[in-house]
Amino acid sequence: MKHKLSKIGVALSSLCLCAGAMAQSGEIRVLVANHPYGELLKLSIPQFEKDTGIKVNVESLQESQLTQKLTTEFATKSSTVDVFMTRPLQEGKMFSKNGWYAPLADYDFSDYPKNIMNAASFGGKPYIVPLVTEWQVLYYRKDLLQKAGLKVPTNFDELEAAAQKLNSESVAGIASRGKGAAAVTQVSSYIYNYGGQYLDKGTAAFNSKPAIDAVRYYGKLLGNYGPKGVTSMSWENIMPLFQAGKIAMWTDASVFYGQIVDQSKTQIPVANFDIANFPAGPKTNAPFIVSSWGISVANQSKKKDLALKFLNWASSKEMAIKGMMGNITMARSSVWVDPVVRSKMNPGLIETRAFAAENGTPVDRPYMSAVGEARDLIGELVIESINTKGTSNKLDQLAKEKANRVNELLKESGEYGK
Amino acid sequence: MKKKFVPTLLFYLLVLIIALIVLFPFLWMLTSSFKTQVDIISWPPKLFFEPTLQNYRKVFEEQDFLKYFLNSTVVGAVAVGMSLLLGLPAAYSISRYAQTKLAVFILLARLMPGISFLMPWYIIFSRLGLIDSYVALILSHMLIALPIVVWIMSTYFSTIPRELEESAMVDGATRQMAFLKIILPLSGPGIITATTLSFIFSWNNFMFSQVLSMERTKTLPIAVYNFLSYAEVDWGGVMAAAVAIMAPAIILTMIFQKYVVKGLTMGAVKG
Repeated sequence: MKHKLSKIGVALSSLCLCAGAMAQSGEIRVLVANHPYGELLKLSIPQFEKDTGIKVNVESLQESQLTQKLTTEFATKSSTVDVFMTRPLQEGKMFSKNGWYAPLADYDFSDYPKNIMNAASFGGKPYIVPLVTEWQVLYYRKDLLQKAGLKVPTNFDELEAAAQKLNSESVAGIASRGKGAAAVTQVSSYIYNYGGQYLDKGTAAFNSKPAIDAVRYYGKLLGNYGPKGVTSMSWENIMPLFQAGKIAMWTDASVFYGQIVDQSKTQIPVANFDIANFPAGPKTNAPFIVSSWGISVANQSKKKDLALKFLNWASSKEMAIKGMMGNITMARSSVWVDPVVRSKMNPGLIETRAFAAENGTPVDRPYMSAVGEARDLIGELVIESINTKGTSNKLDQLAKEKANRVNELLKESGEYGK
Repeated sequence: MKKKFVPTLLFYLLVLIIALIVLFPFLWMLTSSFKTQVDIISWPPKLFFEPTLQNYRKVFEEQDFLKYFLNSTVVGAVAVGMSLLLGLPAAYSISRYAQTKLAVFILLARLMPGISFLMPWYIIFSRLGLIDSYVALILSHMLIALPIVVWIMSTYFSTIPRELEESAMVDGATRQMAFLKIILPLSGPGIITATTLSFIFSWNNFMFSQVLSMERTKTLPIAVYNFLSYAEVDWGGVMAAAVAIMAPAIILTMIFQKYVVKGLTMGAVKG
């Protein structure tokens, strides 16, 4: 019996050796997301292969599948991934804690906004090259505002007044995500502008007065002037309503702008849509600006030199300009002042980006390992506020409970107070 | 005669209402697959619209769904075939020798959440260099197909009188021969049920294929996600892909419907 087992063992290990030897030195495996920039990379890879002689095996996956696949491969220590696209705020903390990102000590990060680099670095060292940024904006219907004799709201009081005036039986005054966890990123800018935040020095801070006031305001706005059923709506649901002309104003991430002004996807003439800076709150105006996607080298990669070569090319200024031409809002600062790009890009996008890059907050969610659980908890708070139109007298108590739970999560992962 | 007319009418009215409710999502999917993005999101929903084949063009030309079709078919067919090869004798043995413990043990594999197999499998298959191979996918899908085959067939075999094979054995046949020549030819309906059901389960499987396959062996349920991009959903593409995926399963079920329904209730009426 023992003899047999050892035979199998030999057979198995020789199989592994074969598999190892089969991989050629000039070949890397790259995982990209189903994202316009991932598509752009896929289209440009043949040129990269021709120039460098490196063969690139590329796979593209939907974002949650990508996370699941990377997690499975890395956790079982049997991954063959060399380079991958990653979401710094969603999975960055967890991946870096497990040591799955390779450090990028020699990369030149001088072209990236400082606040964004915070989320791409862990322990002061960079691990992710930011690719794409997005920031909170206000989308609105020019024609409806004009008809109502309103100017574009610049602060929360004006926003509420405009939402009230524009709200009618057929058109909702304002929309923003109301579906629990999905809403958390969009509520963040409201909280910042009230002077609050989700976490402060590794401790839950969303039960503070400014944060609760912001959640109340959000609930009042959406509960009174939002579309019906807003508490089950994320961007997938709001977007079609906005495109069908059922919503007058919409606060969400800048990433949707390209689709809104695409006439082949919209019933309303696109000239009626416009984009503006997120309105200021009572305290400040610091909407989120985050790096939604970055790119990293896998720490277990056995071909780090080739992988780095690919990463350098994939995050180069040249590729970033190509991205900008395709309406992708890239993270590099220099491409935003490039004259050719500026002449092609929508001025509204350039202006709101400049404002957010200067004043914005570089995080849009509770930035911790257990992001998902924390978002669910805070999401319940948001829903309670919307359901009661911001008047709930349980909100303070509820916020306290949820904050305690988030603190527990932080303690479990050893991030509490850090 | 007149008395019977009203209840019959009511009966069919009820059937119609229920059918409409059940079929509505399907109808929505079918019509949406022929609509443009603007028509899909328009409110109120458009009943009459100019149909477009653009979504199907995306599915079969831009996305290469034929390859995914082939992958799903190969994986499903071989997994079901192998499951029949192993499962039919196993089911026969369970039925004739009352090996209930063994049967329960096989069922356990089905009751355990599939996700608990994934990590070990991934490690084993990647050490063997079998990730992104048909072998890994087929073996994993056999975990779905084999218990179905064994359970449906063991109850089916129990309905066949033992006297038939006993008389064959009296005439000098071995048990194996009796199984091959007497029992199997009588088991057509059962085998069809088991095949159809296990093939559909394999066809629809998402979790195993997602982790164990890559670009080369990607199956259909995974490929639908190609239409979901970051911050953008191509509803028309999703709907067309869904129609394309459902079509073979629906056709298969329609052809073998009679057996499938019979097979599903087989365990319930023993006699």
